[in-house]
Amino acid sequence: MRIATAKETYIADEGLLVTATQRAWMGVLIAMLVLAPFVLNQYWLYLACLVAINVASATGLNILTGYTGLVSLGQAAFMAVGAYAVAFLEGALGTPFLLNILAAGFVAAFVGVLVGIPSLRVKGLYLAIATIAASFILHFVFTHWVSVTGGVRGINVAPARLLGLELASPFALYFVIVPITCLMVLGAANLFRTRIGRAFIAIRDRDISAEVLGIPLLRYKLMSFALSSFYAGVAGGMWAYFFRVVTPESFPFATSIFFLAAVIVGGLGTILGPVLGAAFMTLVPELLKYVVEWLGPVFPNAGAALSPVRTIVFGALIILFLVFEPHGLAEMVRRVRRFFHLWPFRT
Amino acid sequence: MDWLFFTEVTLAGLGSGALLSLTALSFVLIYKATRVINLAVGEILMLGGYLFFAFVTALGLSTWLAIPLAIAGGGLFGMVVERTLIRPMLGESSISVLMLTVGLGSVLIGAVELIWNTDPRALPDFMGQTPVFIGEAYVSRKIAIGFVVAAIVIALFLLLFRFWRGGVALRATATDQAAAYSCGINVPAVFSLAWIVACATAAGAGLLVGAIGGISPTMGVFGLSALVVVIIGGLDSVLGALVGGILIGLVEAWAGTFLGGEYKLVTTFSLLIAALMIRPYGLFGTVEIERL
Amino acid sequence: MTSLNRRQMMALAAGAGLASTFPGLTVQAQEKELVIGGSIPLTGVFAFAGVAIEAGISDYVKIANEAGGIAGRKLRLAYEDTAYKVDTSVAVFNKLTTQNDIHLYYGDSTGFAKTINEELNRRGTIMMAGASFGSELNDPAKYPFQFMAGPDYVEMFAILLEYIAKTQPGAKLVFVNSDTEFGRDPIEASVKRAKATGLDVVAQIVTPPTAVDVSTEVLKLRRANPDFTIFHGYVLAPLPEFMSQAKQLGLKTKFMGTFWSMDNSLWANVGAPADGFMGVMPYRYYYDTAPDAPMLEKIRKLRPTYQATGYMQGFLTAMLMGEAARRTLDKGQELNAKNLKAALNSIKDFDTGGIMGVPVSVPGNSVPVGRIYQFSAADKQMKPASDWISLKK
Repeated sequence: MRIATAKETYIADEGLLVTATQRAWMGVLIAMLVLAPFVLNQYWLYLACLVAINVASATGLNILTGYTGLVSLGQAAFMAVGAYAVAFLEGALGTPFLLNILAAGFVAAFVGVLVGIPSLRVKGLYLAIATIAASFILHFVFTHWVSVTGGVRGINVAPARLLGLELASPFALYFVIVPITCLMVLGAANLFRTRIGRAFIAIRDRDISAEVLGIPLLRYKLMSFALSSFYAGVAGGMWAYFFRVVTPESFPFATSIFFLAAVIVGGLGTILGPVLGAAFMTLVPELLKYVVEWLGPVFPNAGAALSPVRTIVFGALIILFLVFEPHGLAEMVRRVRRFFHLWPFRT
Repeated sequence: MDWLFFTEVTLAGLGSGALLSLTALSFVLIYKATRVINLAVGEILMLGGYLFFAFVTALGLSTWLAIPLAIAGGGLFGMVVERTLIRPMLGESSISVLMLTVGLGSVLIGAVELIWNTDPRALPDFMGQTPVFIGEAYVSRKIAIGFVVAAIVIALFLLLFRFWRGGVALRATATDQAAAYSCGINVPAVFSLAWIVACATAAGAGLLVGAIGGISPTMGVFGLSALVVVIIGGLDSVLGALVGGILIGLVEAWAGTFLGGEYKLVTTFSLLIAALMIRPYGLFGTVEIERL
Repeated sequence: MTSLNRRQMMALAAGAGLASTFPGLTVQAQEKELVIGGSIPLTGVFAFAGVAIEAGISDYVKIANEAGGIAGRKLRLAYEDTAYKVDTSVAVFNKLTTQNDIHLYYGDSTGFAKTINEELNRRGTIMMAGASFGSELNDPAKYPFQFMAGPDYVEMFAILLEYIAKTQPGAKLVFVNSDTEFGRDPIEASVKRAKATGLDVVAQIVTPPTAVDVSTEVLKLRRANPDFTIFHGYVLAPLPEFMSQAKQLGLKTKFMGTFWSMDNSLWANVGAPADGFMGVMPYRYYYDTAPDAPMLEKIRKLRPTYQATGYMQGFLTAMLMGEAARRTLDKGQELNAKNLKAALNSIKDFDTGGIMGVPVSVPGNSVPVGRIYQFSAADKQMKPASDWISLKK
């Protein structure tokens, strides 16, 4: 049982990590993140980077969908915008790596604002469909604006360079991708302690009430779109440096669904949610591979069933979480924490 | 301008538009009754095609027996889904239910891949081959049959909504659930009915679509075009589905012919955004007035 | 800061324990073994080919090992399913290369080949081939460590065009392609090539990737009324519908396709509308009993039922890889990408045992050889319609 966490100031109450236990766990997490590249082999490092990229994008989507209540099925398209921005800048101008990533975020944010414009008139499910439409239109632009995007063939991206080092292997990229993602998650956590973040939450809970309270809806909704797309753009930029080729088929519509699913499975409207959700949804298909390998001796055809089983598990996870744990993995973590807080008393 | 060519293209557009309308009807029925956008409609379409395929090839049934069975299979699936998945989600946010249907679609695709693998297949021919000519204009026989069937079904639905008790109950539920309850309408039964009829319709549309383009686990993307139709027409309007379907069918055919195949999707989606900016609830959809 | 209490200590310990138990999966590479790694699409949209490719490579491995291996080394295929997704393919590549000592790799798509190319150049230890015939990959300067066991898509078109120019000079053509990277690949170059060969491309039709109904496209085809219609970027659908509608309309055009839409069993299922479909095929079919094809005899003994075209593709790819490795090892050179590729390019007039009907040379990244086959619905078989055509560079 944890006692004596009474806070004396508002600042202490608003802190991100309020107890010693939380700080200790955060210490463990940071230590693990720092040590991981020296312990893991290339395959797991590859997955770690992929998870980090997905976490960044899912966190962005969560700002829009989880906190502002605007459903978007266009996250993959915004990532693609970021990836193309990086590919173009790297190829045509050769600007430095971190600047490109940042620029990718801003370009994506700009496109996000454009896509967000209908959000004032169009609401709910209609808006979700409008974002689908926008992502198909963007796909068309990627295939046909050949001078910038390279058409259907896409663009090859040179490896990222930082301080004269070439970042080509997952090992090297880990040291830029993971810190950037951590910064972005930290940024999102802090966002909801500011006026802007609170305004987003007010809009989600009831937009008309929020307007009455003096929150300009258009400005804040567009700001939410911009922020969310900024995250997607940066994630897409990292993706481009990670896979080093960007084509229109790099970010299919299914990826947008993947991110929405990751946010829902993780827990809408929590900081922890998209982190857990993106990691979980990225790793489950890989873990299924091991399951299939173990089953190999029992079911000789298990290998051929892997992809359909993955598709089924993907869908089933969404369904099961929505029906049985609508608040997602974050809620499960919260329950575990509560158990320890109150132990030895029952919850 | 080659007017014969234009007429032929237009007729082809009308034909595929009728198929879109039929599929859109499935969206509308479910949305009207339960306020759920069922993104799995495309996959139920696929299920219908595969059920028919299985009945004919694996069980060796005659096509004319397999058609009603496949449609009934779709209806049964709808009933099960409504009872086990949708009803527990009553009162949850619309996005949750939307994602639930996305998950359902994914499960269906996986299941179909597991059972029938991913090879594209052709449905057994049950429509005949002789081409149809209207005047001098050529129409593909399958498209013509698709058009006639879709037109009959839609007309039937319009009549049912007007005159049949169940149809009226559905409209009543759509207008005001609480009032419908107090009039003695069995609202949960209406929910069930809507899902059964809608999924059976989708499965039937799947037969037509499959007969034209063959079946494969990816044929569910047809549902996406139908989604555009309902958004433009208005999510809760049968008339909207009809008009929207024809409109999108024509626009796709014209864009595909006079601009090129790669312009089909982008034209319809641009049209969608434009339509939403002008009429946020679709052409014929009910405008929801929000009050504090 | 307060000192850590017991539970926090436990937490730290648990965290450290978790970190250390993470699997370090590196397996010691065994001596005297030659591993072919593979990102193979056993499931997903390209599964029909992937399954056959896997069978083809494994059979070559089996046959080569029975004959004593490659320069005394046993061949082994280490592969995993990719579901035809680029990121999964990359994951598989990373996983397999950390677990095995790999110098030869089979990749599954153009996207993967492009994505992994930088990594191949960086490592310099792996030579790769794959299921992609993307013309972009046929550039030894940009893709120095890759090759394809057949003609690239532009070369496939060139073979078709050469055949058409010979049988019907000045013929009218229509190209039909899907609006995908795969579909668009050879079109631009081939339109130019057709003009240079004296053929007339009267229309180009692009179908959206999700196309179900092709009746408007058929109408366009009817207006263009070509002598030959060449499809590219499809496996099967919507070709049968195209062909049966064109037949209903009484069009005289002949339909042609490229390698991935040439599988015999796919067309056999289509039946009557498939009759007369032609296309370019770089390999012999499973059932070919030509006297100069002893390898096909061996394959039929190994696998009594029909094997899809992907089988031959996988088999020949592995054969060329094996030959390159043999030449490298025989010279006592180190197995690295540069030596392997040089050995591969030294292959001249190589006898494939009849997988290809002519002796094979690999001057660059491709093997620009093919033959025109035509489907006969009566026999349910693809029949040769031309002799082997080798493109002159």
